[in-house]
Amino acid sequence: MLDANPTEQSSANSAAKLVEVKDLKMYFPIHTGLFRRHTGDVKAVDGLSFDIFKGETLGLVGESGCGKSTVGRALLRLYELTNGSVTIEGEDIAKLSPEALRRKRPTMQMVFQDPQACLNPRMTVAAIISEPLDEHTKLSSAEKLEKVYELMDAVGLNRAFANRYPHAFSGGQRQRIGIARALALNPKFIVCDEPIAALDVSIQAQVVNLLEDLQEQFGLTYLFISHDLSMVRHIADRVAVMYLGRIAELSPREPLYAEPLHPYAKALLSAVPDPDPEREATRQRIILQGDVPSPSNPPKGCNFCTRCPEVIPICHEVKPELAEVRPGRFVACHLVKPD
Amino acid sequence: MTNAPAALAKPRSQWADVWVQFKSHKGALVGLFVFVSLVLFVFIGPMVWTKDPTFINPDAVTMIKTRNKPPSIEFPLGTDQLGRDMLARMMKGGQTSIAVGLTAMVISITLGTFVGVMAGYFKRLDNALMRLTDLFLALPLLPLLLVMAMLFRAPLSKAFGPEGGTFLLIVVAIGLTSWMQAARVVRGEVLALKEREFVLAARSIGTPSRRMILRHVLPNVMSPIMVAATLGIANAIITESALSFLGLGFPPDFPTWGRLLFDGAEYIQQYPERVIWPGVAISLTVLSVNYIGDGLRDALDPRIRGR
Repeated sequence: MLDANPTEQSSANSAAKLVEVKDLKMYFPIHTGLFRRHTGDVKAVDGLSFDIFKGETLGLVGESGCGKSTVGRALLRLYELTNGSVTIEGEDIAKLSPEALRRKRPTMQMVFQDPQACLNPRMTVAAIISEPLDEHTKLSSAEKLEKVYELMDAVGLNRAFANRYPHAFSGGQRQRIGIARALALNPKFIVCDEPIAALDVSIQAQVVNLLEDLQEQFGLTYLFISHDLSMVRHIADRVAVMYLGRIAELSPREPLYAEPLHPYAKALLSAVPDPDPEREATRQRIILQGDVPSPSNPPKGCNFCTRCPEVIPICHEVKPELAEVRPGRFVACHLVKPD
Repeated sequence: MTNAPAALAKPRSQWADVWVQFKSHKGALVGLFVFVSLVLFVFIGPMVWTKDPTFINPDAVTMIKTRNKPPSIEFPLGTDQLGRDMLARMMKGGQTSIAVGLTAMVISITLGTFVGVMAGYFKRLDNALMRLTDLFLALPLLPLLLVMAMLFRAPLSKAFGPEGGTFLLIVVAIGLTSWMQAARVVRGEVLALKEREFVLAARSIGTPSRRMILRHVLPNVMSPIMVAATLGIANAIITESALSFLGLGFPPDFPTWGRLLFDGAEYIQQYPERVIWPGVAISLTVLSVNYIGDGLRDALDPRIRGR
């Protein structure tokens, strides 16, 4: 567990926990040589533990290739987990049988990064949005059509577009179709895998506001994966900063942006430009040296020890565990001690 | 929303859209017209032109006099080396050739698509199925066909009659030996398709594999299947004639377009029209089917539709 005194913490929050992730590991095997022998693993996600509470938005940020999307997909068991458990509403989805998993699918849905690729080009919008209804409900076709129209209203698509194909839409509209599909089964938990990364800035705001409105309307819980730190600041209640398959810091939004504790979070947040020109002029960027190590061969000790500006000898030896150092703030660093 | 239910069209059937687009493809329309005419010619024609295609005049003198005639009123396409009417033979031969071509194509495409989709979609089956495909590709086809004909001809003829048995033998033999190209192309497409996000999205919805293949994979691999299918018809007609030529297909007096072509090839110097008739018929069939396939492929792709 991530907190220092699990009993106290869990008794306070267990009622409100929707998703509980424990020691999540996702390794992709590497096969080399003539006989395709298993010679190593890409440790995309290496021991993650966190909770998502009902009705909140947990932001997941980090640089490219740090395992954000893998976490999102593993949470919905689109990959078979290497280790760990993901408990959604009391059921460990990592251990569900295929049929039980299928019945569980309506509670958890996903919005994808690339709105072009996530819609089947051969299906009409109505067919795309009603696919979840076809799979999980026994509505008549007229009822399905009515539901599809309602969903299109909810995401702000003109009902007259129901017969068109995805190629006839702009990126923002396609993303709305994807969101409508995710909403079709009244899910409780939605993984948003960089839903705005492929969109124009003007459209990004529309889509994020739509997601916020829908959250209010339907009481949704989001895992919002993004590398856009300003957008995460806008939408998330708590933010997890990932580095090389591990969580570096998990904190509520305001304290994190005001005063990041983990050296990596400091460096990452120092890169966010400030709209106030006076403060922007005095902004000190922390420039990290070197490249991200390969996830197939992470360094011994702390994953960040090769690039950390504040590195001390113990970092090269012992992997720091995620610990609660301030109320509600979890940091995995030897330098940050609980007060 | 506006309260204008009249403005909201019901979701149309995809096939209506497909037909609208198909109609706008001129080549496909011409192809369809030619193909339908050919089919009418070979299947309805014999009812109008009632000469027996296998009739050889028993009177030797008359028979010799009516040999190798050029086109005339009595014999619109002339006669062959035994005095049989070419028009009747073209009709009768067309029935067999078109039936063999279509049936063999359907068998080979079904088999190829099935193997390709299975190999591409289910990683566990991939290696086994693709090695099987390689095995078939490596087999020398003609000897294999010869062995098949030798082994199965007699029992099949007994069960389905000489014509039915041979027909079955030939379509199955051609179908079984020509699915590999389709399988490889389809597998490649499926492998690429499987990594697309909409397949992942369908998985996150909980769509089972069976419907995933029918709903998301197959419609998106339609184009290569169409191409393979239209080329397959031509191949099947030609292979059938090669088999008949080797004496392994239909009996020598039983006309097919391929058979007529090979019979005429001996006399190509003196009577070139004897080669031209079946040659033109085969080419027209292949070409028209190709155009129909082209039009269908475009019509089935919503991105091209409406341009």
